[in-house]
Amino acid sequence: MSTKPKSGGFAALVRRIFQSRYAGALISLVLVSVFLSIYQPVFLTWPNMMNIVKSNSVGFILALGATYVVISGTVDLSFGSATTASAMAFGLLLVAGTPLTLAILGAIVAGLLLGFINGFLVAYAKISFFVVTLGTLSVFQSMALVVNSGTSVSVFSVPGFSALNQFVNGNIGPLPVLLVFNIVLFLIAGGVLRFTAFGRSLYAIGSNIEAARLNGINVKRVLLLVFIISGLTAGLASVVQVGRLTVASPNVDMNLLLTVLAAVLIGGTAMTGGEGGVLGTLIGMLFLGVVQNGLTLSGVSSFWQGALSGSILILSVWLGGIRGVLRAQKQTQLE
Amino acid sequence: MKQIPKETAAVLVEVKGISKGFPGVKALSGVDLTIRAGEVHALTGENGSGKSTLSKVIAGMHRPDEGTIRIDGEICELETPADAIARGIVMISQELTLAPTLTVAENIFMGRLPKSSWGKIDWSRLRADAVQVLDRLGVHVDPNALVSDLSIELQQEIEIARALSTDARLLILDEATSSLSEAATKRLLELVVQERDKGMAVLMITHRMPEIYAVSSVATVLRDGCLISTVPIPQTSEEELVRLMVGRELGDYYSKQDIAPGELVLDVKALAAENGTFAPTDLVLRRGEILGLAGLAGSGKSEFAQALGGAITARGQVQVAGKPMALGDPRATIRAGVGYVPDDRKGCAILPVRNIAENFAMAWMDRLTRNGLISLRRQKSEVASAIQDYGVVTASADTLISTLSGGNQQKIVLGRIVRRQPDILVLNEPTRGVDVGAKTEIYKMLQRAAKEGAGIIVISSELPEILGISDRIAVFFEGRIVAEFDGPTADEEAIAHAAVAGVKRHPQPTVTKETEV
Ligand SMILES: Nc1ncnc2c1ncn2[C@@H]1O[C@H](COP(=O)(O)OP(=O)(O)OP(=O)(O)O)[C@@H](O)[C@H]1O
Ligand SMILES: [Mg+2]
Repeated sequence: MSTKPKSGGFAALVRRIFQSRYAGALISLVLVSVFLSIYQPVFLTWPNMMNIVKSNSVGFILALGATYVVISGTVDLSFGSATTASAMAFGLLLVAGTPLTLAILGAIVAGLLLGFINGFLVAYAKISFFVVTLGTLSVFQSMALVVNSGTSVSVFSVPGFSALNQFVNGNIGPLPVLLVFNIVLFLIAGGVLRFTAFGRSLYAIGSNIEAARLNGINVKRVLLLVFIISGLTAGLASVVQVGRLTVASPNVDMNLLLTVLAAVLIGGTAMTGGEGGVLGTLIGMLFLGVVQNGLTLSGVSSFWQGALSGSILILSVWLGGIRGVLRAQKQTQLE
Repeated sequence: MKQIPKETAAVLVEVKGISKGFPGVKALSGVDLTIRAGEVHALTGENGSGKSTLSKVIAGMHRPDEGTIRIDGEICELETPADAIARGIVMISQELTLAPTLTVAENIFMGRLPKSSWGKIDWSRLRADAVQVLDRLGVHVDPNALVSDLSIELQQEIEIARALSTDARLLILDEATSSLSEAATKRLLELVVQERDKGMAVLMITHRMPEIYAVSSVATVLRDGCLISTVPIPQTSEEELVRLMVGRELGDYYSKQDIAPGELVLDVKALAAENGTFAPTDLVLRRGEILGLAGLAGSGKSEFAQALGGAITARGQVQVAGKPMALGDPRATIRAGVGYVPDDRKGCAILPVRNIAENFAMAWMDRLTRNGLISLRRQKSEVASAIQDYGVVTASADTLISTLSGGNQQKIVLGRIVRRQPDILVLNEPTRGVDVGAKTEIYKMLQRAAKEGAGIIVISSELPEILGISDRIAVFFEGRIVAEFDGPTADEEAIAHAAVAGVKRHPQPTVTKETEV
């Protein structure tokens, strides 16, 4: 963090960006955007841009939680199922006549609860996070199916629901509500990582859990909290999702799952823990959103989109690996 | 001013004008080194002087920016460690490189597992070969044991066994003895001499003077990445060698002061490890007192320290400054006023992918935090003054800790605990991998802490260190304290005897057993 005066400032900034762990995603995002602006005139229009933001906002909320989890050196495979289960809870509450605000609260509490279950099993029962969340992936999905015998809950005609629908599709001034909402969440998530003891502990645990423990970090509590946060984002995402779609579906959207994890990894948050951040995740998410938008604009069948995001994930992590190797040879590592 | 001993043996490896830079540091500039067959060549110098970097260049792990490497007179481009190994150059690096989830035998023969017909692994031969190599080293360990279950010392010996099992012509030992106890070190040095006499060349990096004088015939000193001198041993005196290393006279090495012991600060009653590594043990410690714990690897001294530090679960009563301390919980330990520094730097102490500032601040999180928020401003100034106080050599606090030399990492690991000014310091091998100059700094740091009223327990495998700094010395043997000595009057042999035999040697040979606590 050199505070070199004037002339060096911009160059230093550029250098820092190029050396950052999300450099690849950022460059790809710029390249794809330039390409699309030239060949798809619609791409660069305001409505299309806002469309990209809106259609990815559920994924982005989940990706913020997933970033926390991955930084801590663990993985939550169950967040998609948790979102679905929370959405079903939300839908059923609405249909049962619960006032909107209470139902929203209910969905969020449901998400928190599911996160708590994961966190408790991982942190206090000391079961491998992989096993726990693979198990709950299936359990939460099953619960979502059971509660309404496997059928969707349409909330479109529920009195009071239209307020939420209008809200999530509405604007604050010129900006869509969802854009503002996502920016606020992003700032909170980034601020917590950087400025709180909890955030710093997350990096410490992800980097070396025993060193963190011996230096007085409350490893169990931090791990419990990180899964609760993952559950919280699932709850929030379910409200936005149902608000937009006007229906709660009991089936997990596999493509959403992939997009979320891909955004985190493409954004440079390392699977091995201890490194990364939400800025990278934002860039990763934008990149995937732009690519998907480009495919739609070019009239490519949506069936291809999964194949493409999957390939991009593998490719980008591979390229990240190459960059890692280059960097390791030039400096760091070993000793 | 180079004074190369007249040797007749063939030159095995000759490096000339080697330079190597990393972003922000010039690790080596124009270094020459000649290694002959059948010679033990000591490579020494302060922390960060470039010793590991030079040996990594020779072992094909780093490409030099400038300079040539000749092996058997022929210029070689070593692209990978495999290239070096193919030419008979094998290195044991400073940090362990074993696969923890594999067995001892698999680790020793990694990449060279014996195969029977159909490409099936020949497990029985693997085991037999492993036993043979281990026997040569005098290490008694089950070849089927998992490496992760072994102590650091045993792991280091497995690493050595692996190197020995290849047909090395040049063996590079990068501080291989720093995690070994006195006895294991002696065995290793004997082995080095044996192999040397068979014609192997050894490049030995160490901060320990006695080792240099025990086996090597020539020593090369680096300082700040430059070659200072190559001198014959033992013709060059120890003082001279140290002066070459640090560029000045060192003065009083241990800076031992007479500090009147104060009130009782630690009272341990029947402390025993849950895993049975040491039996119920009693111990007391006064303010201002430095207690040294000696003993062989596996004697329980290290686990005793871990139990005091809350790193492992234990039973018994521990009172710190009159208040009982909960066991097995590092948070309770820290709150009670105990500062613990573990011996396994890589495994239990550093955050490898984080920078220096965060590695310091991790231990101060409670003090830097108000209402859950960390004061980054205070962190910055605290870290800056800690880097100064503990002499960490680095370009900036934002440097990744894993790019620092081993000794500089150790200064951070130690400094962040001492800076909390705990009532009791429990230091497990505090000077491991630290150069002579920095060691005196650490000893001064301990004297200062003792003077300010801390009680200090130092676990060390280096007897001279224990003797030099301790007011009182307790010796562990098979999980018990078998002897206690008064620091200033203790002699090395008596302590070594107690550590090996489990009894305090007595002037009259008729007394067979005496246990003191
Ligand atoms: N991979 C790397 N990236 C950046 N800097 C490095 C790297 N490896 C070493 N350095 C730097 O090069 C210098 C020499 O380091 P080196 O590890 O060779 O020292 P050393 O003599 O082995 O020290 P020690 O006795 O502490 O092991 C140090 O300043 C170190 O920080
Ligand atoms: Mg070194």
